[in-house]
Amino acid sequence: MKLPRYELLAEKSLMVYEFVSEGTKGQIPKLIKFSETALKDFYNLAFGDKNLITGDIDDNVVSNNGDSEQVLATVVAAVYAFTDKQKHVWVYATGSSKARTRLYRMGITKYIDEIKKDFLIFGQREGEWEKFKKEVDYTAFVVRRK
Amino acid sequence: MKTIKELNEKKVPIIRIDNSLEKYKKMPIFQDKVDKANEMLRTVGLPKLATNK
Repeated sequence: MKLPRYELLAEKSLMVYEFVSEGTKGQIPKLIKFSETALKDFYNLAFGDKNLITGDIDDNVVSNNGDSEQVLATVVAAVYAFTDKQKHVWVYATGSSKARTRLYRMGITKYIDEIKKDFLIFGQREGEWEKFKKEVDYTAFVVRRK
Repeated sequence: MKTIKELNEKKVPIIRIDNSLEKYKKMPIFQDKVDKANEMLRTVGLPKLATNK
């Protein structure tokens, strides 16, 4: 995926990343986290804005910084980094709202051919997983390196 | 020497280590999403690799 993306900082286990979105509303620091779940080797991917004053992370805020493609490309780069040394892990993601999940789905659809070269990708619909298909409204996604 | 553009085009990015991010590892940020993921694992489970490949 040869899109411009932001420089990533991470702690040494590569589970937490930070980057700075630069757009029409200025610089917005963002945090990405791969969290452990109840199942070994299954991680939840989430990201959100970092409040510089309180240090809180908000994944519900709509930044509208005009750089959503670059932000998503940066998150995808973090997925590559996280799964590069442990290719057997699952990474699960869902949006904080239907609209955001749809935005992720559109981003995935746009680059699905590229994504499929490196990842198995599934979408969740009506309580079932299926191989990701374009134009299907999924509620969540999960990927694993091939 | 590789240019910034060449480095940027690599799928696996170059990461700068910042130890100040360590504190977020244990912090329960995005916990609601982790709870939802756990609920999904309980009710839906994993994709079936053998039949879905």
